[in-house]
Parts: sequence; C-alpha cells; structure tokens
Amino acid sequence: DALLPAPQSISILSTNMKHFLTWSPVIVQGATVRYSVEFQGEYEREHANGSWIPISECSLTTATVCNITQDISATVAYKLRVRAELGATRSPWGTTKGFFNSTMTSLTPPLLRVVADGHHLLVELADMGPSFQFRVLYWKKGQEGRVQQKVMKEVNSVVHLDTMEAGAEYCVKAQTHVEAINRSSSFSPTQCVRAQGDKSMWLV
Amino acid sequence: SGELYCSLPNPRNVHFESTNMRNVLHWSVPEGTGDGVLYKVKYAVYGVGKWIRKPECRNINRTWCDLSSETSDYEEQYYASVKAFLNGTCSAWVETTRFNPLTDTKIDPPMVSVSSTDKSISIILTAPEKWKRSPEEGSISLLQVYPGLQYNVSVLNKKTKKRWFFSISNNTLVVPWLEPGTAYCVSAQIHVTTPLLDSGFSKEHCIATLKDK
Amino acid sequence: SVAEIRAGFTAIKANIQSRDPIRSLSILSHPHSLHKVKSSDRCCITHHLFSFYVDKVFKHCRTEDSFVNRKISSIANSFLSLRRRLGQCHEQNNCVCGEESTEKFKQILANYEGLNVTSAAMKSLGELDILLDWMEKSH
Repeated sequence: DALLPAPQSISILSTNMKHFLTWSPVIVQGATVRYSVEFQGEYEREHANGSWIPISECSLTTATVCNITQDISATVAYKLRVRAELGATRSPWGTTKGFFNSTMTSLTPPLLRVVADGHHLLVELADMGPSFQFRVLYWKKGQEGRVQQKVMKEVNSVVHLDTMEAGAEYCVKAQTHVEAINRSSSFSPTQCVRAQGDKSMWLV
Repeated sequence: SGELYCSLPNPRNVHFESTNMRNVLHWSVPEGTGDGVLYKVKYAVYGVGKWIRKPECRNINRTWCDLSSETSDYEEQYYASVKAFLNGTCSAWVETTRFNPLTDTKIDPPMVSVSSTDKSISIILTAPEKWKRSPEEGSISLLQVYPGLQYNVSVLNKKTKKRWFFSISNNTLVVPWLEPGTAYCVSAQIHVTTPLLDSGFSKEHCIATLKDK
Repeated sequence: SVAEIRAGFTAIKANIQSRDPIRSLSILSHPHSLHKVKSSDRCCITHHLFSFYVDKVFKHCRTEDSFVNRKISSIANSFLSLRRRLGQCHEQNNCVCGEESTEKFKQILANYEGLNVTSAAMKSLGELDILLDWMEKSH
C-alpha cells in the first residue's frame, strides 16, 4: 500500500446546501486510479465507536469529486475521508482537516423575476431545493419606511404578491432562508415595476 | 374449523388504498385461477396483534374490502390479511405492510366555489372531510387532522393566458383589481408540509368578471 | 430538523418495518399511547425518547443495505442535533418530568427490554412515524 499515496488537497465545496468533496488526483503513469469515499457524523464518532460509512455512489470512482449532499443532512459536525485504489492496492485514507457542518454552507441570493400585470405585483423565484424558503420584501417607491414581507416556498411559478395602486412604482428584493441551519442569504438586487393606470386618477 | 390443505396460489398485491382516510383493502386474483375464487379478510391493530375477522368480507368473490370503520383511529396503525378459497382448497394468508392512515392516505383536492363582481373574484375553498361511517355521524374536516394544511390556488386569465399562484392558510381569497368582462379559471390544491402530503389540483372553475357599468 | 428525519424515515420505512415480524407488540404505542401524554409532560417525554433512540436504538440497526445504513446515519445525526436543542429546554428547566411521563417512559423501556436487542432496536426504528406523528400533532 505504501506505493499508493493518499489523495491530497481534500476539501469540501458547499453552496446553497449542496456539498461536494474534492481532492487532487493520484497520478500513476499508465494506470487508472480509482477512489472511495466515506463519511462519519457526530453520531458515529460519539455513539458508534468512530465508525465510517461508505458512500456507494463514490466507491471505486475515477472522479475526483463526490456529491455528499444526501449524507450530510443533519446539522452536526462531519468528517470525510477518501483513499485511492489501484487493483488490490489501496492508499492510506486522506481525511478532511477539521469538521464540516452544513451550517457552513455559503448562501447566495435567489434568482428573482418581478412582474407587474395590471394592478398586480407578481414574482417568480428559481427552485433551490427543499430546504429553502424565500423572504420577499416589497414597498411602494418613496415609502421605504413601509416595507412589507412575505415568506414563500413556491418556486418556478408566477406567485401573486399584492395589488398595487394605479400608476405607482413598487420595488422588490428577496433573500433565501434555510430553517434547518437558521441562516439567510444576502438580498437579491432590488427590482422595481410600475402598476398600470394613471397616477393622477388618485389625486382627484 | 381445521384449516384445509392450502395449495391454492396466494392473492397478489394485497394493499390498502386510502383517500381522505377511506381505507379499502385491495388485492389481485391468485395467479392462474379463473372464476369462482372466494376470499375472507382479517385485520389487526399494530401493537395488539390479535387478528379480527371482517364478517362482511367473508366468502366474498370481489377483490376489495372496505376496512374504513375498523381503521378509523388514525393514531393507530394496522395490518390486514386475505385468504383465497377454490374447490375445497385454499391459499395461505397474505398480509399487507404496516398501514398508517395518517401518512398513507391520499387527499382529494379542495372544493372550490367562485363568485365575481366587475373587478374582482372571490374564492372559497373547502377541505375534504375525513371518511365517516354514516351521514349522521359528525364531520371531521381534514383541516382538523392536519393542522398545517394550506391551499395553493391557481388563477388563469383566459384572455392573456397568464396564470398566477397564491398560497394561503385560510380558506378564502379575494383577487381585486381584475379586468371587467374577462374570464378567469380557478383551481386549487391542498398542501400539507408534515407529513408531506399534496392533493392534486381541483378541476378548473371558470367565471367572468361583470362588464364595466 | 423533523422534516429531515421524516424524509429519511419515509425512504426506508417499508424496508425497516419488513424486518419486524412481531405485530402483537409495540415499543411506543401500546399499552399506553403517546397521544394520551399530558401536554405538560410532552417536552420531558420527547427528550427521554430522543436519548432512548440515540443511546439505545440506532447502534443496533446496522443492516446489509448501504442505502439503509446511510439513511439511518442521517436520522441518527438529526436526532443528535434535535436533542441538543431540546437539551436547552431541559437546562432552562421548562422540561419537567412529571410522574406520568416517568411512568410512560418506564413502560417504553420495559417494552424494549422484553425483546432481544436487535429485534427491539429494529422495531423501535420502524415506529419512528409513531413518534413523528405524535410530535407534529402535539407540538
């Protein structure tokens, strides 16, 4: 086994609750090196004799990346390890330095589309997965002190936010919120749209 | 009575089909048997385990048996079992998997009623009722069974073909500021977050806003 | 969160429950149903049950199925993080254990000890929906 070095530069890339383990390839001239990945949660460490659990989708894989999202589903500290395999030869395990917890994921603002349809203010939000809620803030331009909020889960459809005063301009921005880790993204850029109808009608 | 020598093939695909907690046991005819097969049914409460025969489903030739009454307590879980008989021989008892009425039922879409003025439509939604033994028995709305129940409402403007969605917790929705003399079609779905249960969308109810006075 | 546990359990429910042939015994729901627990005792019973699953049940639920083992790990780790949150209630002393909940939990342990450990653990795991249904209804 000493002939096959352990994979190096092992790290976890995590964005919007999607977690990937990556590592540098182990180069053996003229040979195809494969890799196997295992994970260990706090439960395995503290209550199951430090056992490790293989990720079957990343067993004997030639890729140097593994999607660990399905297995890192609890908000506890996890460790990951990967080793190289060439025929019967196996390298030592390479283990992540420190722990990974899904609370460490980076959250990006949601993709938001704002629509005015007559007097109706509507939004469409891109799907980001089952863990996500969206906090949508909206206000009438010029009344920045009277911001209203809606928390939504609906995605990929035009969702009704509110009705607008004729001719008035309304602005909207949104952030994601992940209840499981109790964290939110930064806000999306603000988008403003104008309601149909003549503003002067309101001044009569 | 002593059990006959059971060489008949077993009933197949023995399972509960449940909608709004109307819980009906279904199965398929044993392989290779023609007409004339009769069945009997029993059920058990999980954790109690004593099999209880269902008299109304004794020596029946149909392949379903309504066990709604016997499984109406949705804080319990159940098993059911079927045995087939033909020409003096019989099959083994074949059991369902464990049935949990709360999580294993399907939910019908809500009832939708719509009215309109010249510039708005009003929508009233009614969640389906839990199955009940008889019309005289008190009704239990599924809203009481699933406190987290919500409605997703779709409103389609037939002229512009644009569809809007609303997500509401109470059962009424007024959509103001609409175009007079325009047809709008409404359909609604029930959404329960935990346990995760969604009904299909109801059929569309179309109504036109009144023409401008 | 509870939703994660529910999703993980739903994925393996049929597999786990098929490993439990004993219909006449339940760990959680008989002879006393969780649904009869007084509201004042719910926090304590929940805390006890989380510790019961973490300390006694999950470690005896290893199977030959890799997918099932991964889901059990996901559930077990979710229990850990939820127990930690419940622990905060315990520390703030608003999770008092009354006589009834102590008695109820003793009954659960007696049901558990009445079976060999693997059968008891697999049966308890197969009854997670009983616990989740009760938690969601009563909390």
